[in-house]
Amino acid sequence: MILQPIDRNEALRYLGCKDGTDNEQMLAMLDFCEKQLLKAASPKYLYAVYPISFTDDGVRISDSNIILKGNSAAAHLKNCDRIVLMCATLGQGVDVLLRHLQVSDMASAVIVDSLAGAAIEQVCNRAETEIFEKVHSNSRTWRYSPGYGDLPLDIQFDLLTLLQAQKRIGLTVMNSNMMVPTKSVTAFIGLSEGEVDQSTRGCESCNMKDRCKFRKSGGHCGN
Amino acid sequence: MEIKTLLEQRGLLIFDGAMGTQLQAKGLKTGETPELLNLTAKELLKEIHRSYIDAGADIISANTFGANSYKLSHSGKSVDEVITAGIINCKEAIKESGKDVFCALDIGPIGQLLEPTGSLKFEEAYDIFKEEIVAGYKAGADVVLFETMTDLYELKAAILAAKENCDLPIICSMTFEENGRTFTGCPAEAEILLCEGLGVSAVGVNCSLGPKELMPIIKTLCEKSKIPVIVMPNAGLPDPATGEYSIDAEEFSDYAVEIADLGAGIIGGCCGTTPEFIRRTAKKVKGRKYEPKKIERVCTICSGTNVVEVSQPRIIGERINPTGKKLFKQALINDDIDYILGQAIEQVGAGADILDVNVGLPDIDEKAMMIKAVKSIQGVTNVPLQIDSTIPEVLEAALRVYNGKPMVNSVNGEEESLKNVLPLVKKYGAAVVGLTLDKDGIPPKAEQRVAIAEKIIKRCEEIGIPKEDIAIDCLTLTASAEQLAVNETLKAVRAVKERFGVRTVLGVSNISFGLPNRELLNHIFLTMALENGLDLPIINPNVASMTGAVRAFKLLKAIDVNSVEYIAAYGSDTPTTVAKPKSSEVTLEYAIDNGLKAEAAKITEQLLIDTDPMAIINERLIPALDKTGTLFEQGKIFLPQLILSAGVAQSCFDVIKAHLAKNNSETVSKGKIVLATVKGDVHDIGKNIVKVLLENYGYTVIDLGKDVEYQAVVDAARKHEVKLVGLSALMTTTLKSMEETIKLIHDNGLPCKVVVGGAVLTPEYAEKIGADFYAKDAKETVDIAKKVIG
Repeated sequence: MILQPIDRNEALRYLGCKDGTDNEQMLAMLDFCEKQLLKAASPKYLYAVYPISFTDDGVRISDSNIILKGNSAAAHLKNCDRIVLMCATLGQGVDVLLRHLQVSDMASAVIVDSLAGAAIEQVCNRAETEIFEKVHSNSRTWRYSPGYGDLPLDIQFDLLTLLQAQKRIGLTVMNSNMMVPTKSVTAFIGLSEGEVDQSTRGCESCNMKDRCKFRKSGGHCGN
Repeated sequence: MEIKTLLEQRGLLIFDGAMGTQLQAKGLKTGETPELLNLTAKELLKEIHRSYIDAGADIISANTFGANSYKLSHSGKSVDEVITAGIINCKEAIKESGKDVFCALDIGPIGQLLEPTGSLKFEEAYDIFKEEIVAGYKAGADVVLFETMTDLYELKAAILAAKENCDLPIICSMTFEENGRTFTGCPAEAEILLCEGLGVSAVGVNCSLGPKELMPIIKTLCEKSKIPVIVMPNAGLPDPATGEYSIDAEEFSDYAVEIADLGAGIIGGCCGTTPEFIRRTAKKVKGRKYEPKKIERVCTICSGTNVVEVSQPRIIGERINPTGKKLFKQALINDDIDYILGQAIEQVGAGADILDVNVGLPDIDEKAMMIKAVKSIQGVTNVPLQIDSTIPEVLEAALRVYNGKPMVNSVNGEEESLKNVLPLVKKYGAAVVGLTLDKDGIPPKAEQRVAIAEKIIKRCEEIGIPKEDIAIDCLTLTASAEQLAVNETLKAVRAVKERFGVRTVLGVSNISFGLPNRELLNHIFLTMALENGLDLPIINPNVASMTGAVRAFKLLKAIDVNSVEYIAAYGSDTPTTVAKPKSSEVTLEYAIDNGLKAEAAKITEQLLIDTDPMAIINERLIPALDKTGTLFEQGKIFLPQLILSAGVAQSCFDVIKAHLAKNNSETVSKGKIVLATVKGDVHDIGKNIVKVLLENYGYTVIDLGKDVEYQAVVDAARKHEVKLVGLSALMTTTLKSMEETIKLIHDNGLPCKVVVGGAVLTPEYAEKIGADFYAKDAKETVDIAKKVIG
């Protein structure tokens, strides 16, 4: 897929400029960095739909032995009968670019890092658009990822194995549960023929809520 | 069994089709480990094997694709038992069929990415593959198949593990995207070069796409590979929602005919294919006469993602070499790998096609440094490397961990050198530079040097190094000492090229040693040498007139067709992004505020004429940095601008350091600090930001990098007697590593303080895990360093 222009305001927010910038130097650097990032990135995503069932431990992905453990996932998927499991990555080229820039031009490295954060969100949004052109349901939840609430990060290994993420889009996970390429996302969306409760979206379910710099300054990360 | 012989006897060989697709059809749950069925569903597996044998396969793959210690770690089963069972099932199926079919030990990617993007070390990957190979060999496999590989580096670890632990033929197959590259950016040419060099029996492509989409890659493989080509496509493309594949067995077999016409030697199937696909394919192409192709190739080397063909002059950058460079030596002693990486990136940016890497210094562990340098340089640039050392042990270590096909610098006509170096070049499939000198030194006459070249070429060919992989260095002597020798060198270059058809290489800069205006002499000598047939000038590419001479030569010789490269290099003036004031108005402070590196360096040079270096640092640089730091804290400027200012200060520091080194003074350092991103964590941008700022306040940073072992932090803190250690972690899961590292520092009674930082840390948590300080950002780390060190 080809990335749309990267959302610079989003990237600037990650850098702490919540109101954008008109600083010429910053704008010139953003131009330079966006070009490099677009050249290095090779965005890909992958998804599949699975029926789910609710167990005492959490939510079981049917046809597999995977359980999304804990209360958070179960609460998020309340009233759902299926999930769309998805993963996305900007590819290894971005990691190579970031390593390169961290040696030669640290200021650009920081900007590319933020732009890449904005870009992977856009890839996920694009994936969602495609998913809901093809997969129909009455209602659906927002994207939920391992590490949110009490859903353990180590489920990532099983989810990526289930999706054959390495073989199909080159996405793997380390023993420490960190994904590589580093600019990657794993998430699921609940599907329901009834209605789902969307109100839980926001800071309360986020494991960063006590130390989030956006919250401290009275803002919100946008998720 | 040997693939070549088998192809001669039987003609085109047929491999089997998908295993996973068959298992799923028989009820395997998605996400389960299919290899465990080797132990629990023997009959089912034998039945699948039998169906492929009946369909006409010459070689069938055991169900061992993911049977490695990483993927089996949750299963409670050992690699040995799963692989042994897999091979036995396969062999029993063959025996029961009564047919003369071979069993392949099938090995896929480990499932974790290797360094530098991932954290799995090359050596660890080797051990994981070794375990699989030892088990499969013992159980009686006939051939080793590495398939669905996407990382050339991982494939190299796999091939070495196979070569060194069994004597079975090796077949390698990688998975390419429609852009002709794997996920890691590896092109098919690089796969061919690596596999040929390492003595693999067949090379090719499988999975990801159907036969139609794979055609361009299959063509490349068949046109460029000297060894037989294997092709195992998917059954077309899968529907993203249903997973159904797009083509049927008949269509697949029609494509197989096309693939056979292109010259492939082995054809099979991958995802979505069934015994029916193989039956129809075998019916149409099995046993067709296989004719090995004669492939002519000029010297070609590669990294994991970039292939460089020496079909025209290619620049070898000479700057990664400590000879005569005080700062470089200092960097080696301090383990300052970033200094070397900076040199690498600068040369590539200036136009180097290949980089020479020499880290030889009497006081350091050259082997360890060479391994580190090769791995790190390959992490930030994609140009192939020339491994440069006089010590065979260092050469071998570098050849092992190098990703791709490198060049070795060098062997010479001495018996000792030929005996020690050529076997390494052969074993690791490298290209090699041959110096025309021997035990009597450098002969004065061109003819004598040509004779040594001939000897080296002959010895290479005897050991199996093809002529195309040899570049001869006729040696540049200093014009000030041996003026008449210049012409002998040029004569020798021409003669070697014309007589033997090998590539030629010269270290150009030596010509001007001891003379004024060296650049002029280097430039003219380079041009003369190019006209005499020099292919690989070793130069300083950062000197514009040198790189320019090569570009101009290529244009004038019509090598650079339509002047494309030349215009790309010089055609458009790079627009300056920010309007710059007149240089007379720029002060050091203004330059730092506005990110003007070159200007700041120039001003520093001028200041050094009559100002004490420490005064420049303390009275000008640090107050200017403090000012931007305060603006950052107030939210008036943002992180990139803060870093940009720090980068400018860095260029001033570099000037001061070079000045001090020239005057043999002590270097300026306020003290050493060890920094590390903790074990398990590969996201180290935060740590690197901290490093930049600390360095610009005059601290020497011992940067241990990312994913750092606990003990390595302790060792470095002890070795460098630091007062402060900084640790960074990005994820909640790696905070545990941070805690363990701090604990080990305390257990060892080291007298240093520990500062921690990272996205998920809080001051409370920092205190809980025993850190002395929590820093919310890079600026605060500097404040803490001031407090602890001064």
